[in-house]
Amino acid sequence: MGLTPPPGPGEAPEYVESMSPNWVTTRLDFLANWARSNSLWPMPFGTACCAIEYMATAASRFDISRFGMERQSFSPRQADVLICAGRLPFKLAPVIRRIWDQMPQPKWAISMGACASSGGIFDNYAMVQGIDTIIPVDVYVPGCPPRPEGLLYGILMLQKKIQGESISDPSLRVEHLVGPDGLFRRPEQIDEVSEPFGNSVSQTRSG
Amino acid sequence: MLQPYIPILLLLVFVVANAVLMLGISQLLQTYRPTPVKSAAYESGMPALGDARERFSVKFYLVAMLFIVLDIETVFMIPWAVAFQQLASIRGVLLLEMLTFVAILAVGYVYLWKRGALQWD
Amino acid sequence: MTVGLPEVRSAHGDEVLQAAGDSVLALRQRFGDSIGNARESSGQLWVVIANDRAHEILAWLRDDPGQQFNYLCDVTAVEYRDPELPLEVVYQVRSLPRGIDLRLKIEMDPEGDLEVESVTDLWAGANWLEREVYDMFGVRFRGHPDLRRILMWNTYDEGHPLRKSFPLRGHRSRSEQTRNALAANPEAHYTLEELSIVEAYHELPADVRERLVREGRVAQP
Repeated sequence: MGLTPPPGPGEAPEYVESMSPNWVTTRLDFLANWARSNSLWPMPFGTACCAIEYMATAASRFDISRFGMERQSFSPRQADVLICAGRLPFKLAPVIRRIWDQMPQPKWAISMGACASSGGIFDNYAMVQGIDTIIPVDVYVPGCPPRPEGLLYGILMLQKKIQGESISDPSLRVEHLVGPDGLFRRPEQIDEVSEPFGNSVSQTRSG
Repeated sequence: MLQPYIPILLLLVFVVANAVLMLGISQLLQTYRPTPVKSAAYESGMPALGDARERFSVKFYLVAMLFIVLDIETVFMIPWAVAFQQLASIRGVLLLEMLTFVAILAVGYVYLWKRGALQWD
Repeated sequence: MTVGLPEVRSAHGDEVLQAAGDSVLALRQRFGDSIGNARESSGQLWVVIANDRAHEILAWLRDDPGQQFNYLCDVTAVEYRDPELPLEVVYQVRSLPRGIDLRLKIEMDPEGDLEVESVTDLWAGANWLEREVYDMFGVRFRGHPDLRRILMWNTYDEGHPLRKSFPLRGHRSRSEQTRNALAANPEAHYTLEELSIVEAYHELPADVRERLVREGRVAQP
């Protein structure tokens, strides 16, 4: 199952072919992917400001239900995609990890906003520098907060990604668990992606 | 002879086929990856504490029991009302009979009222 | 110190400032040397008080019929960038009947022992406010019923984040912090029994409560 860490940035995932592609499997793939991508039930893990924009996207003007996200599930058991909208403090890290673990396959994750993607403006002692250090993310939606159109673009991108999947590829549905060292990614990967960049480099506290 | 029942048979066939297909296709296309954390109870991301089986307050049982008793009383009144209407000659006796029945139950009702069984707190 | 903002003075603002000034004068009359410097800042008055009589002073401010500062707005702390300036624990109190505010500061040596008397017996709201000051600055509050971290998790061991000596991104590397965060299981530190006792404590009969306190199963409320 999934005690090996997921592929890090720059590493290609292994494609394991469990059966050779033929007309039946491709038609089945099409059917399954069409069904999955057009009925993605989101689990809104809204923590901060991006959650407000998520609510706006879900409301009538921008309406995510026309893309199949009809029912928002606040229980991970009935959700397909975890949308982490907002900054994630370290205190909340075990919670999102557990919620991700409790979602049944097939599942995807959208990291909405700058804070969920990289820590955003909060490069400090309390914030997780990107939820991809804790859970595997499929689509990153940048913005602070992203406009509803931006989030919709991210959702459509996820739909396209799902349509490129194949049910004969079990590596897509592997459960990537937290490893025995207590981490989801390799420590050097976490340190590398969390390094300050841009303005943050000069923002440190004396002493 | 059984002509008008054909639609029902058709409906039955469709229902069974629908159920079988829904479950069957899900089984074929499913991805089942159980892990210990996934199978654990959901408690908003926290590990669940304690047993799901909690003790119930006995007050619920008391309310249910009182309901049954007084409801049966009402149930008895319904056929009595029909008989009352049909047996016009002995109406007086029937009325007295029912009043006695209600009076006996009323004694019990006053008893449980005074004992505080109708008080929730 | 105003930074280029035009100072708009209203008649009401001046009255409020005057009333607060009267309170400071009354404090000086009553407590003498325990009252230090008093200054105005942005239309509000602050006054320094001595640590050893702080609880007494705050109690007098709350209870004296001439003062009536019955609402505690905030308890917070500040450590300045300049090492000569002291670390201050700040109390913001308000008098709802009189409608005036007053800020009281206790000055402490940032390198020294940071300990202050708790005011939870005067204002119950100070409970969480003091926990926040403890969590962020490491100031211990004597007599606080439940002094533990509130913003960071209970087993956070890197220190007190808002001190100037605490680096912005924490002492540990990001991977270490992530590992500690994922491993921190908050509910594991309390058994179900302890949690239910705390939750049901106020509903239990008096003799059961006494027994629990005597046996040490619940902290003294």
